[in-house]
Amino acid sequence: MTIDNEDLVGQIRQALKVVIDPELGHNIVDLGFVYDVQVDDGAAHITMTATTRGCPAASFLKEGVASSACLVPGVDSVDVTMTFEPPWAPSMISPGVRSSLGFAEVN
Amino acid sequence: MVGTSLCKWTISYFAAAIAWLLLAEGLMVAGFGFPNHDIGDPDTLVIVHMVSIGWLSTVLCGALFQFVPVLVARPLYAERWTLPALALLTLGLVVLLAGFLTLGGHLDGPRWLLPGGGGLLIAGFALVVANLGMTLWSARPLPAPARFVAGGLACLCVTAAFGGLFSLVLSGTATGAQWPDLLVSGVSIHALAGLGGWLTFTAMGVSYRLLAMFMLAHDGDARLGRLALRAGIAAIAVGLVGGALALWRMTGLNLALLLAGAAALLSFAAYGRDVLGLYRTRKRRVLELNTRMSLVGLASLVAAAILSVAFVATGSFSSHVGALVFLVAFGWLTGLVLANLYKIVPFLTWLETYGPVMGRVPTPRVQDLVAERRALKWFVVFFAGSWAATLMLLIEAPLGFRAAVAAMMLATLGLSEKFTRARRLADVAEPMRLPTGAAMPHLLVSRN
Repeated sequence: MTIDNEDLVGQIRQALKVVIDPELGHNIVDLGFVYDVQVDDGAAHITMTATTRGCPAASFLKEGVASSACLVPGVDSVDVTMTFEPPWAPSMISPGVRSSLGFAEVN
Repeated sequence: MVGTSLCKWTISYFAAAIAWLLLAEGLMVAGFGFPNHDIGDPDTLVIVHMVSIGWLSTVLCGALFQFVPVLVARPLYAERWTLPALALLTLGLVVLLAGFLTLGGHLDGPRWLLPGGGGLLIAGFALVVANLGMTLWSARPLPAPARFVAGGLACLCVTAAFGGLFSLVLSGTATGAQWPDLLVSGVSIHALAGLGGWLTFTAMGVSYRLLAMFMLAHDGDARLGRLALRAGIAAIAVGLVGGALALWRMTGLNLALLLAGAAALLSFAAYGRDVLGLYRTRKRRVLELNTRMSLVGLASLVAAAILSVAFVATGSFSSHVGALVFLVAFGWLTGLVLANLYKIVPFLTWLETYGPVMGRVPTPRVQDLVAERRALKWFVVFFAGSWAATLMLLIEAPLGFRAAVAAMMLATLGLSEKFTRARRLADVAEPMRLPTGAAMPHLLVSRN
């Protein structure tokens, strides 16, 4: 990955913060839903998850991720993969957000 | 598949159900039916069917159209069947109630009203069972919560079949005259299959998943719910098969019901243990109002189970059965449903309004669509009212019962206003309320 791509990945991750999980009320990046972001010649490949397989919110989250990533300058196309392997766990939440959500400490 | 879509008519089912609940509560406040009339009186049957079909079955069907696809991660088999089913259920119930009112001497209607209403209701429930059944069938092997729903749907079929036969007997037609004793001995099976099998068993299964989701508790253990499911299925099988055999041989019905009751108690105990386990292992420390109120509803089920055992032990079960059924229908089922509507209505409204614009503009949280502190008082009034009304039935104080139900009705109105505010986005702070591209939701139907 080139330095430019690293910058672009950072910008995409920042842009994805406009997408929130409606139930938990925080952005999906801090919640740990975004497993991987890669950019290959302007084509962004994002791998993400959601709390519940089959939930109607999951398809909106996926579309929201594609819409927000598309708005980043330098991104020509976006490909979003939704996976439930590994399943999301509260331990993936960034520590600051975890305490604000009132989560139990996760071992 | 990534996610299921919104069911367009779920909100309409909820609205129709709440209207039936308010009507039933209003009639009880006015002194119509039990306890002013006998428990088997046609006036009481009006209220019983308004609550069990109009309110509880309608709201549960609407919720299942949305929730079964989430449980099994498959789309609903036929979304287009949901509106005709609602129309058949509503029309069927209106005709059935007219039949009961005729039977009670309030109306001068024809004899076919009861079987006619029963037929329409069976057609409506058949559409519901076929739709949900095909959705479940496509997702075999089923996860545990979906097995509860499958068991509940089987019980719905039995309840509807018995109800159809009763409507023929009560209408005084020649066909119904072939089973003169059915009504006397079959009512307990009809009621247990409906209240215990369809409504309670399904609610238990759905709540496993909902509680785990909302408390962020681990529910991936295959053993979770296994004992509650097996004991529950045993209770249903013993109650229905044993009950039908007893009806045929004209003896042993009480033994079959006692064995079914014992298995049901084991199922409830296992369910209570599982819910406590989910509560203890939850990752979310601060619980939202809907989850806290669901747990209060569960306390009513525990109370009903303990009271049942106590009344059977003291030989006074049959004289207190009305109070127990009231506690199960209102303290447990209605309380649980209202608590979950307080989450489901804002959640569906959020998906419909903000889902399509997500990623393009900042959006509020589901919690921003509600004001929990203002709703809490109505839940307190509702549960206190349902327990007070049960107590008034136990001590045979009809006026006190009506006053307690008036409090419950007030609380139902208060909560209905909260559901309407959520649909209207009335509690969402202004900059985020209707961002560019978002459309105001309709009150009674979803865009999907």
